[in-house]
Amino acid sequence: MQKGVGLGALTRNTKASQIYASHGERIQKAHLEELATQLNVFQAVLQEFARRHAKDIRSNPTFRAEFAQMCSAIGVDPLTSSSSKKGSFWAEMLGTSMNDFYFELAVRVVELCRATREGNGGLIAVAEVRDRIMKKDERTGGSSNISEDDILRAVESLKPLGSGFSVIAIGRRQMIRSVPKELNTDQSTVLEVIQVLGFVTPSMLRANLTWDRARVQTALEDLLSDSLVWVDDQADENEYWSPTFISQGLQP
Amino acid sequence: MSATTSTTPPNIYPDLYNFPPFFTRQPNTTTFAAQLHAWSTFILTYCRHHRLFTLELSTALDSDLFHNKALNRRLKPADAVEVLEAMRKDGLVEWVDGATRSTVLVYWRKPAEWAEVLYRWVESVGQKGSVLTLWELVNGEMTEGEEFHGMHPMVLQSVLAVMVKRGQAQTIGTEIDEMGVKFF
Repeated sequence: MQKGVGLGALTRNTKASQIYASHGERIQKAHLEELATQLNVFQAVLQEFARRHAKDIRSNPTFRAEFAQMCSAIGVDPLTSSSSKKGSFWAEMLGTSMNDFYFELAVRVVELCRATREGNGGLIAVAEVRDRIMKKDERTGGSSNISEDDILRAVESLKPLGSGFSVIAIGRRQMIRSVPKELNTDQSTVLEVIQVLGFVTPSMLRANLTWDRARVQTALEDLLSDSLVWVDDQADENEYWSPTFISQGLQP
Repeated sequence: MSATTSTTPPNIYPDLYNFPPFFTRQPNTTTFAAQLHAWSTFILTYCRHHRLFTLELSTALDSDLFHNKALNRRLKPADAVEVLEAMRKDGLVEWVDGATRSTVLVYWRKPAEWAEVLYRWVESVGQKGSVLTLWELVNGEMTEGEEFHGMHPMVLQSVLAVMVKRGQAQTIGTEIDEMGVKFF
């Protein structure tokens, strides 16, 4: 089939594409409006949900985590939204308690990281932070229910302050790094290997990573001088232990 | 002995006690500072729990204070001395024999705190105005079960010195075996 071969086809084509374009815009606009409505509806539902379950959100960590996930999925940040503008979603929903909860927790995380820094070089497992905070609460008679997710959110909430606190993964563990100094690749590799048994020896590293003697020695000495490992010189070969394992009740 | 009276003994061992490097002097200064602090706290807790007013180094090195038999790890004598020396600087222990360094007095309560404990006892049993021998005071039947029962004479003397200064007591005699004290 032949069509639009004459000069007139040119104008016809332009016209057609104009129609298409405006039609496209119309569809897009309708789509956006529809989405916005949906989002509004969803937010309203979420607000209603939050109102009804405010108590659970405050007291139940699993619930809190799931709720926070749901919020971030639709672009509501529980931690920044109530401080950025007054009378916002969260402030209305939960009073300031949700905010206070995370900021108070953040303060305690900072305190704990500071207090343990000498012994662990500023690297501590998220799980340990959680256990220590909960143990302390038990000792002082209160009972708190905090999840690792809460700790992570609390650390996240420190970011705007330029706190130098970050969460890094060493092997399968999530750790809080409270010293701005970055680990070099060899250091991270060794720390990851340490997670398996709690310690490493130079010969284990040489065998498993096929590093030469000097590289192993340098990596271990770097870790020692950053307080990230402790040495035990009473075994057959020096053992380098991660202080992460201090609280884990090692089996002899 | 008194340790056997409690039904559920509190866990006096810190987590670090089961961490093998705790028994090796850490080469890194920062880590060592944390290690020293942990040892100091542990030694005080241990002595308070067992009501030890003195620590004889050679005995302590073989006891479970400095020797974790399960881990087969122990603190070396020189390292133990370094720990105790650091504690002395903090006023927590005192060498009985300065030069040989074989025994320390352990102040799991400072003399001023002991003075208060003692004075509270004096008031509660109505011993104000009476004269007691030092032996009677810390080893006699009437103070059995008191926290200061069995207190080492040298610790007691530092405590009484505080009380004399506060005008709460006056010591009588000079020979330690025959000394007495009068409380006001």
